[in-house]
Amino acid sequence: MGQSTAASASAPYFDISDPAFSVQSEEVRRARESGWYARTNYGIAVLRHDEVGRLLKHPLLAQGSARWPAHHGITSGPFAAWWANWVLNKEGEDHRRLRRLLNPAFSRRLVDPLVPRFQALAAELIGAFREPDRCEFMGEFAEPYAARVIAIMLGLPEEHWPELARTSATIGLAMGVTIRADLPRIEAALDDLYGYTDELIAARRRDPRDDFVTRLAQAQHEQDRLSPEELRDSLVLLVFGGFDTTRNQLGLAMRAFLDHPDQWRLLGERPELGRAAVEEVMRTAPTTTWVTREAREDFAFEGLDIAAGTTVHLFAESAGTDPLSVPDGRFDITAERPPHFGFGGGAHHCLGHFVARADMSEALPLLARHLRDPRPGGEQRWLPLSGNTGPVTLPVAFTPRSVPPTGSKGAPA
Amino acid sequence: MKVVVDLTLCQDHGQCAIAAPEVFRMNGEGRLEYDGSPGEGRREAAEDAADVCPVQAITIED
Repeated sequence: MGQSTAASASAPYFDISDPAFSVQSEEVRRARESGWYARTNYGIAVLRHDEVGRLLKHPLLAQGSARWPAHHGITSGPFAAWWANWVLNKEGEDHRRLRRLLNPAFSRRLVDPLVPRFQALAAELIGAFREPDRCEFMGEFAEPYAARVIAIMLGLPEEHWPELARTSATIGLAMGVTIRADLPRIEAALDDLYGYTDELIAARRRDPRDDFVTRLAQAQHEQDRLSPEELRDSLVLLVFGGFDTTRNQLGLAMRAFLDHPDQWRLLGERPELGRAAVEEVMRTAPTTTWVTREAREDFAFEGLDIAAGTTVHLFAESAGTDPLSVPDGRFDITAERPPHFGFGGGAHHCLGHFVARADMSEALPLLARHLRDPRPGGEQRWLPLSGNTGPVTLPVAFTPRSVPPTGSKGAPA
Repeated sequence: MKVVVDLTLCQDHGQCAIAAPEVFRMNGEGRLEYDGSPGEGRREAAEDAADVCPVQAITIED
């Protein structure tokens, strides 16, 4: 893979499979200063904003994760079948057909009416913190919030959230290098989720509602519809793709604001900055630290010959903080910023970004209003700072507000 | 019907070309090309494209 790409032997080299490798390390910063790419143990890593933006949408690059299970010796069985059916791993007309059928259910105009429920949920969780002046942010907020947003989207009773969180986290093991050893657990979790989604689909077919699952079940483009398998695979994808990412991204946001208390105070005073806050956090600390593509054929890019089959890792965090694109280097939720790559881009742009943007931009200002002067409140544990990252635990101490949280904006301070 | 794309917002993700290939296409360089005055029969497709645009750069004017 990529052996024949004519990467200069003098280009920096990273072992991105090493759990100690960090996309935020000095070595990555230095490499970004000296050039737009680095060599890695498989394929090349792209480090600068301009090149990441162009390669993300390059017509000769395909999504690079389709062969991940096969790289680990998994070529058949329920997991391999689900992976192959997953819209992210489709290309060409198969991919375009699925996106045409799935996209309308995720549109902004259908997501926006859920905003009051996101606000009420955030307020309920903050009101239920076990202690008045501290919380374990991941366990008491980010995780239940992310999982209950999924339950709201699917029209499931919200008290089922621990089940959604557990199965989703287990399927997430598939993204790790121990996928082969974890396969029996992953397939059991997949089976549980299939049970869930099959019941849900049957219920909406019997009794259609004005909701997301009904819309997908009825989705139609010209004469075409989702098959029953495509429908259940897509719902499993929603749970899996929406939960971990949102939980981690909320944790990364809280962590970023611990370092920028003035910005947190401002966000609490001006909740309309919620959307900009989400964008600024995803620019500087995206949970998806890189996006993978694969060359469909040989091509030259900026003087580099990239051979067919080469893996191209597009470093979203490195691109977002590239001084060539954001010279001031500040974290500033009021500044005009170039687009970030935290939702990937191109044909495979994140399907659920309107939901993620809406739910996080409601949660953050409400948190900022109630968790005043937040500071680290104990030992943090983190996922590796590569691949998909985020805090595992994030204790936060704060000064509570005297008024209990409500879901509505603009309540008197 | 007039289709207007705000090219200061457009990032060439190409979701519009997936939703409505009869109105929008991505050229060999991955840049957007589109028909600004498609026939009335393409309204639904053009509206789907406007809905799906990640940066909401597309507007349909009557």
